[in-house]
Amino acid sequence: MRNSRRGRLVLTILLLAAFSLITLDYRTGALNGVRSAGSTIFGPIENGVGHVTHPIGSWFSSIGHLGSYKNENAALKRRISTLEYQANLSAAEAAELKQDRALLHLAGLAQFTVVASRVTAYGSSMGFEETASINRGSASGIKKNMTVISGDGLVGRVITVGHSSSTILLANDPTFSVGIRVEGKQLEIGTVSGSGTNRPLTLELDSNTALLSPGQSVVSLGSSPSVPSPFVPEVPIGTITHVNPLAGGLTETAEVKPFVDYTAIDIVAVVVAAPKSVKHDSLLPASPTPAPTVTVTVTATPSSSSTGSTTTTP
Amino acid sequence: MTAQRVAIRWVLVVVAAILQVVVVNKWHLPLGHPDLLLLVVIAFALASGSQRGALLGFWAGLFADVIPPAGHIAGRTAFAYTVVGFLAGLLEDPEENSVFATIVVVLGGSAASVLVYAGLGGLLGDARVTAGATTHSLLATVVYDVVLAPFVIPVVANFARRFEPVGVR
Repeated sequence: MRNSRRGRLVLTILLLAAFSLITLDYRTGALNGVRSAGSTIFGPIENGVGHVTHPIGSWFSSIGHLGSYKNENAALKRRISTLEYQANLSAAEAAELKQDRALLHLAGLAQFTVVASRVTAYGSSMGFEETASINRGSASGIKKNMTVISGDGLVGRVITVGHSSSTILLANDPTFSVGIRVEGKQLEIGTVSGSGTNRPLTLELDSNTALLSPGQSVVSLGSSPSVPSPFVPEVPIGTITHVNPLAGGLTETAEVKPFVDYTAIDIVAVVVAAPKSVKHDSLLPASPTPAPTVTVTVTATPSSSSTGSTTTTP
Repeated sequence: MTAQRVAIRWVLVVVAAILQVVVVNKWHLPLGHPDLLLLVVIAFALASGSQRGALLGFWAGLFADVIPPAGHIAGRTAFAYTVVGFLAGLLEDPEENSVFATIVVVLGGSAASVLVYAGLGGLLGDARVTAGATTHSLLATVVYDVVLAPFVIPVVANFARRFEPVGVR
């Protein structure tokens, strides 16, 4: 304990420094520039590390053992690990392709101009926040507050932009909120906000006359003359699962199950441009009402059996 | 030698912070996740004392506050890790700490970091800091950190002892 006095002095100075930073960032947002620089510098590194750790875990573990076996065995193992690697890769690629197609479908329907990107990192050391890094930034035209979507619907909004990476605030973060419209003819508007990991979103209606019912879908409202919003309109958000009984509050609240699984996002897109208006409810997933089934009957005619087979007799 | 020691510390901090957000957080474990960077701070403090523990905690926390995708007020993690680095360093043992003592420090340090971080959030009116979220985070961080400690602490302590000559203050 010979240095205990000096140690306590260092502790005091460091805690004061940390507290000053907190105050500075809280009052003025002075550290936004530092976070942007952090995104510019460390975003590409995270992207690189993510590429290495993506689908190749089993391949890595299998090459460690090769040397200790006989040649033949080693060759076989190498063959297996190559095949496993290819199988892992093609499974991952197939999953990505599916996400890509859903995303293009949604963006195409709405005529959004999007920048597709990959999610490279999640959250922070301490937890509490629901954020993610993506591998596109200001170089691709991304700006702060732009809407982020996936093929399923709303993912979040951009909060920090670096040169070639950005940070998005996911819609289930408790500090996230977005103006919404409940599907249907009458204009029921409100706000949806996040409630943390694996918890439903919270919907609060603006008017006290509307009545919600489970099963209704919720979409983003977008900007309107009365509600300026950075969000683009009509992006699907989720389905109402539970309407809370009016308990003293003036307006109705409900739980919303999001269309997007925020723990499994991989390919997302930032909407960099959107048309002024999008047709109401046009982006919602197909409703579960049974569609008329089309039956195609093919009658095989015996005479056509010779077309496919050309037999040569020796 | 000093430059080399500083470089080694930064490599440890940067590697742990990046693995945290790119690998560990992507597992999406129930309730929360282990805190790799905190384990590095604790291991380093146990090997090098409270003054160096507090300093490393400050810089590691500050790094965690700005590395993407950080979305909170900067300085909060720095404050929490400084406290934990200092307290863990009080139990410094240049030779080797007992397994039991290490586990107790990891348990206490993890709990302290979450509580200090959440407390600062409460002061700032952070909507993310609710009783439920804090309980979940506390439980997850403590349990996962204690589980990961036997793998992380010896590696970091080994680094610290090899590159930080004992007895030179």
